Order: sequence, then C-alpha cells, then structure tokens
Amino acid sequence: MMQKKVCMLGGFAVGKTSLVRRFVSNVFSDHYHTTIGVTVEKKSVTVDDRDVMLVLWDLYGEDEFQRVRDSYLRGSSGYILVMDGTRRATLDAAFALQQTALQTVGTVPFISIINKADVRSEWEIDERTIEQLRERGWTVLFGSAKLGQGVEELFVTLATQIVHAAPIPRDCL
Amino acid sequence: MKSRPGNLAPHNESLFNAVLSTLDMVVFECEEDLSEFRLQGLPPDWWRQWVGPADCTVLDLGRCSPFLQEYLTSAHLAWAGTPGATEKSGPWTEPDRQGGSMTLEATALSIESKKVLLIERLGSGFKEMGTIVQRARERMLAEERTVKAYRKTETHLISKLEVSERTKDDVLALLQHLGLAALVLDERGHITFASDRGLEILGMTAEAVIDQEWEHALPLHKHDRVSIRELIDTVSVPRKTCVVCIEGPRPRWVEIEVHGDPRHPDRHIVIVHDRTELHTLRRVLNEQASFHDLVGKSPAMLRTYQLVRDVAQVDSTVLIEGETGTGKELIARAIHSCSGRKHRPFIAANCAGLTDSILTSQLFGHKRGAFTGAVNDQQGLFEAAEGGTLFLDEIGDIPQQVQTALLRVLQEKEITRLGEAKPRKVDVRVVAATHHNLSEDVVRGSFRADLLYRIRIARVQLSPLRERREDIPLLAQSFLGQICTATGKTIERLNPDTLRLLMSHAWPGNVRELKSAIEFAVISCKAKEVLPIDLPPEIISAPVVPSSSVWIPLPNRDEKSRFLAALSDAKGNRTEAARRLGVSRATFYRRLVELDIDPR
Ligand SMILES: Nc1nc2c(ncn2[C@@H]2O[C@H](COP(=O)(O)OP(=O)(O)OP(=O)(O)O)[C@@H](O)[C@H]2O)c(=O)[nH]1
Ligand SMILES: [Mg+2]
Repeated sequence: MMQKKVCMLGGFAVGKTSLVRRFVSNVFSDHYHTTIGVTVEKKSVTVDDRDVMLVLWDLYGEDEFQRVRDSYLRGSSGYILVMDGTRRATLDAAFALQQTALQTVGTVPFISIINKADVRSEWEIDERTIEQLRERGWTVLFGSAKLGQGVEELFVTLATQIVHAAPIPRDCL
Repeated sequence: MKSRPGNLAPHNESLFNAVLSTLDMVVFECEEDLSEFRLQGLPPDWWRQWVGPADCTVLDLGRCSPFLQEYLTSAHLAWAGTPGATEKSGPWTEPDRQGGSMTLEATALSIESKKVLLIERLGSGFKEMGTIVQRARERMLAEERTVKAYRKTETHLISKLEVSERTKDDVLALLQHLGLAALVLDERGHITFASDRGLEILGMTAEAVIDQEWEHALPLHKHDRVSIRELIDTVSVPRKTCVVCIEGPRPRWVEIEVHGDPRHPDRHIVIVHDRTELHTLRRVLNEQASFHDLVGKSPAMLRTYQLVRDVAQVDSTVLIEGETGTGKELIARAIHSCSGRKHRPFIAANCAGLTDSILTSQLFGHKRGAFTGAVNDQQGLFEAAEGGTLFLDEIGDIPQQVQTALLRVLQEKEITRLGEAKPRKVDVRVVAATHHNLSEDVVRGSFRADLLYRIRIARVQLSPLRERREDIPLLAQSFLGQICTATGKTIERLNPDTLRLLMSHAWPGNVRELKSAIEFAVISCKAKEVLPIDLPPEIISAPVVPSSSVWIPLPNRDEKSRFLAALSDAKGNRTEAARRLGVSRATFYRRLVELDIDPR
C-alpha cells in the first residue's frame, strides 16, 4: 500500500493532536496536553478506489521557544497547516511554517484548516482574511476536532491532492 | 536472552552494561551496508518489552516504528560523514506495552569507521522540560483569554457608551427643544447637569453652576435653602413643591419640584418653573389689600396708599390728620419707608403732655449744665434723625414757645442745642400728626398759623374705622394671625357672629381699639374660632349700629361717662382703662385732663 508522510503544522494548541486523534481514533478531549517532539500515527484512506496509508506526523506546535526541526519535515508528501479560529495570532504561525515547509520539502500539496468551528462566535479570523488566504492560493477548510466536522474531508482532500500530484509508482499500476 | 558481543564489545563488559543501564540507552552497531543493526551490550528492560519477546539482538527495520525507519534512512548522512560526526533524531513518542507512552531519541554516530546507533529513553529531565513548556503554554492561553475578555468588554463598553452618548444627545436635544428647565444633582448635591432653559430661569451660566454644590451655586435666602433641602430629603409622592426667590439684581421667583432619579436613589432631578410673573401679579393684588404695615382695601385706604406713595416722592413736611387709633404713626413709617430716606433713621416723638423745656431739650438737645440735671452734652431727636425722618405725634399739643423754635428749624434747617449759641445744620424730614382740627386751634389762638402752613405742605387725612367698615374683616383676620403667631395659639378664624358684632361696633378707638379687642378675644378664646363671648364686654353689650348708619360722635358728657366707666371697670388702672377704650395712653391722659376727670 502506498504510504504518505503528512506533517501536522501550526501554532501551539490549535488542535493538531485533536484533529489527528479524531481522525485516527475518533476521540476528543477538552484537556490540553501539549505535544513534545513528535507522535506518529497511521490511517489509511481511499483515493480513487485505492488505499493510501497516511503516516501522520503530529508535531509540536511552533512558538518562540520551539522552532520546528527541518528533519521532522523531510520526506513529507504533504502537510496540513492548522489555525485556531479563536486566536488570530495562529495565522502568523501558519504563514511562518508554510515558508519553512516550502524551503524544506518544496512545493508539495498542503491544506490549511481553521479549527474550532464549534465556537465560531469567538473567532478572531474574519471572512476578509480568509478571502485573502484563498487569493494566495491556499485551500482553506473549516473544521472542528471537537465535533468531528470537516476532519475526514481534511485528510481525504490532502491525500487526494498528494496522490494526484505524485507520479503513480510502477508497482501500483 | 544473551547479546552477542560484537566488534564494539569493550574489554570490561560489565562496566559497559552498567553505563548503558544508567543512561537508559540501547546501542547498535551497523553493518557496513546498513543491512543489519546489531545490539551491543545489555539492553534496558523497556527495550525488550517494546520490541517484544522475540530475539532482539538485531533491529528489525520492517517492524520498527515509522519514525525510526524514516530517521534511519536519513541517518546515513552522519555515517557517511567524517568520523566523530553525530546526528540526533529529535524526540519522538511511542506507545509502550503498558498502554502508556515513552519519548525516545536516536543518535547516529561514527566511531573509527564504525556506524553506531544509540536509542535513549528521555527521562525525568525531559519530563520536567515538558511540564515547564506545558505550563508556559497554558499560562499564555489563559492570558490570551483574559486579554480577549478585556478587549471584548472594552468593545462592548465602547459601543454601549456610544449608544448612551447618542441617547443622551437625543434626550438633551429633546429637553432643550421642550424648553424644560431641569437640574440634575448627584449624591453629594453637586449640580451635574443644567438645561439651557434652567440656566435662563436662574439667570446663571453653566460655568457658575456645573460641579458646584447647589446650596453654594444658587443665590437663595436661608429659609428658601431650608425648604429645598427638605424637599430633597423627603422626596415624596405626590410630589411637593416650594416657591423660592433666586436673589440678584433681577430677583426671580421659581417653583422647585424635586424628583428622585429612578436609577440612582441618591441623585435628584430638579424641575424649575418660572413663577416670577405670577408672583409679581400676586404681589400687586396683595398690595391692594395691604401697604407696608397698613391693612385695608377700602377705597379710602387705597387712596391713602397712593397718597403715601406720592408724598414719599417729595421731601416736604407732611401733616397726618386722623382720630386716635387710626394708625397715624404707621402712615408716617410708610412714608419714610417709601422715601429716599428709608435707609436712614426714623424717629418718633410724642409731643403730648410735655413741658416746654423738656420738649425743647428732647427735640434740639442740650449742652452740659444748660439746666439742673443736664450732666452731659446731649443731642436732640433732630440730630438723631439726621438724614432720616422725625415723626412728631400730637403736634397740636406742643407749647407756643416750642412752636416758635420748631418753625425756625423748619425754615432754617438748623437747630441750636439748649445752652449753646451756635446753630447746627440738620437734614431731617418732619412728618407731623394730630387728632386736632389745627385750623380751629389757629382760630382759638393755641397754634401758630405760620407753623400750620409750614407743616401742612402735604396732608394725609385718615378715615376713622367706622367710615371704612369693609376693612374690619381683613384687619381682624390680620390681627388674629399676628397675635396667634406672637402668642403661639392656633385660632383659625372668627365666628360669623363675632364678625357681625365687630362690623357693627362703633370703634371710637378705631384700629387700635379693634386690635385690643382681638387681643382680648385671643386670650379668652378656647376653641378654634373666636366666639362672640370671647370679645370684650363693651363690644358684646354695645347697641348694634346698623352698618349703613353714619357714626355720630358721642357728646362729651357721654364720653366722660365712658371714661369713668372704663376706669371703674379697670379698677383705676389707667393703662387697662385706655386699652378698654381702645385709645393710647397719651390720648387717655389728655382726654382725662380735657374731660376734667380725676383718675383717683
Ligand atoms: N472548542 C474546541 N476546542 C478544541 C478543538 N480542537 C482542539 N481543541 C482544544 O484545544 C486545545 C489544544 O488542542 P491540541 O489538539 O492539544 O492542540 P495542538 O495543536 O496539538 O497543541 P500543541 O501540541 O501544544 O501544539 C485542547 O484543549 C483541545 O481540547 C475544537 O475543534 N474545538
Ligand atoms: Mg499536539
């Protein structure tokens, strides 16, 4: 089966771990337990009738104390930029990480998701900003790890883009 | 399980194993072609549990964690490099067999052309670091939440403020448009707001009142301040109001209405109504019923008021003529009060029954030693009244010699003290009064004609009370009020029968007699109204005079018997007898002499 490394990138506490756990184990916790280093999880999705094993690298959130190590990113087929709708500053972290990823792994597919859609009334990221992200060519999804909204779609969309972007290996034909 | 000693096996194997155990570390040596990783020394327990019971001397790449696989494919960079180079994987988390997790970190290094892989379990130091990071992030999140809450509150407040500012502007515009005169007082009694109309009525500027305590800002008389304070202290429903005077060059009469601020019980809204015009109109009306201390609205009295006003405007000598008790001194005082001399003294002197020398000394003063008993220099009443008015009552009674001196004073406007030679300038207006017919006195030769003409330049003639009976109820009520205030009794009115008796009485002692009668009645009265029984006996028993009839003066014989009766009723007390007759003591004494009555 095709295996694809996907990194979860974003500021701290945006919900990277929560999205992965909702996707992989369908669980969610309100308790915040920050990720140190990286945890790797696997789950397969079906793209064009073919199973793709996503190897999800749930990285620690970047902030002024912890920069993401390039070595964690190496070998990624795609990445997910997670933002927290209720904290505008997580948008800046996403911008910075996207630059890092671009330099480390090149122009691989990525998807951005604004998490915590269940508390939309508290969002600090407005429609105008989202529009600007899309104008930059970003795919911007909304989701909620808490409610499970948009989670499956997030990973399947990225897997699809990865599969379509990559030349189909010989042995899979 | 026993590890196969590889190439790296040290000479002292037990020391090597102890080091590995202490560092919680597994060591592999790698085949040249990277095909196999061989365990070196004794691995720690966690490793054996993690990889399972199978032989763990060789690292099974196919079964090892995706992170390690990924790392090992890139780790050959270190191995391909110079000897001594190391490359760390960074920490990663793996589930352990007990359902928990452990954090591991791998290091690739080459030692003397040997490729070595170390895998260590990150222990307590790493956990501590994790806890610190966790706490720092939680704190940052909490702070962000706080800031956000503040910002939200701020935005909320700003928008609320905007709304309330807008509402305030609207209300203000409405208030100004309606011309409502209002003040707002805060809990300390400071004026926090005053509408334009309010300022206009008060005749003040915003700067003079805003943020000022109302008691200081508003020019009020003390008793008006007390009234307003009472309103504020006892805001009640139905609302009470009070009318006060805002003092100043143009005094304003305003009605004050105090409301509690519905939102703040300690604050007040004061509504101000201009009542100046109403007050002026009411005063004009009242003035017609009274004038200074004079009471009455009969045509005769209204004419008198006007005459007093006219006479007051000029500075000439005035002669007031009227029966005893008609209020001649009150007229004199009123003339003084209406005149330009009102701020200077008003001095009243009764000229009746005084000898030549005493009257002269009283009026003009004397020098020390001028006569026996003149122990000091003494100024006379003329000098005492300097700039003001000297009222000479019973002018018809002054002896001839004094008449001559008085005439000179009126002509020369100077006096000479008894015993002095040098005259002194005086500026005094003389108002004289008499109950005599002075013209007759002139004919009889008891009064100097030239003095009469000199003092009768202006003339006020007072009607006897019997000629203005319509004033009796007003006068009686007014005296009742005055006497009750003075004595502290609360008698509300005169019984209609009492009033009828008063109306029909002849009142030979005029207003003075009426006042004494009311005084007498108030003392006797036990109820809320004055009953006929409370009146002095001579009024109750006197024959009723039809109100339309003209009063015919009693012949002297009757007057003599009235005086005798009064004296006997008063058991010889002359003051009491005079009171009963309604005449002044001076008149009483004079009449005793005239009627040839011996008071003993
Ligand atoms: N309301 C809401 N809370 C969420 C959602 N997703 C995650 N959270 C909460 O956000 C906090 C952070 O979630 P994590 O998944 O640990 O975030 P992370 O990005 O992995 O954080 P780091 O590992 O520290 O970088 C936790 O308290 C979660 O319960 C969501 O969709 N809605
Ligand atoms: Mg995490």
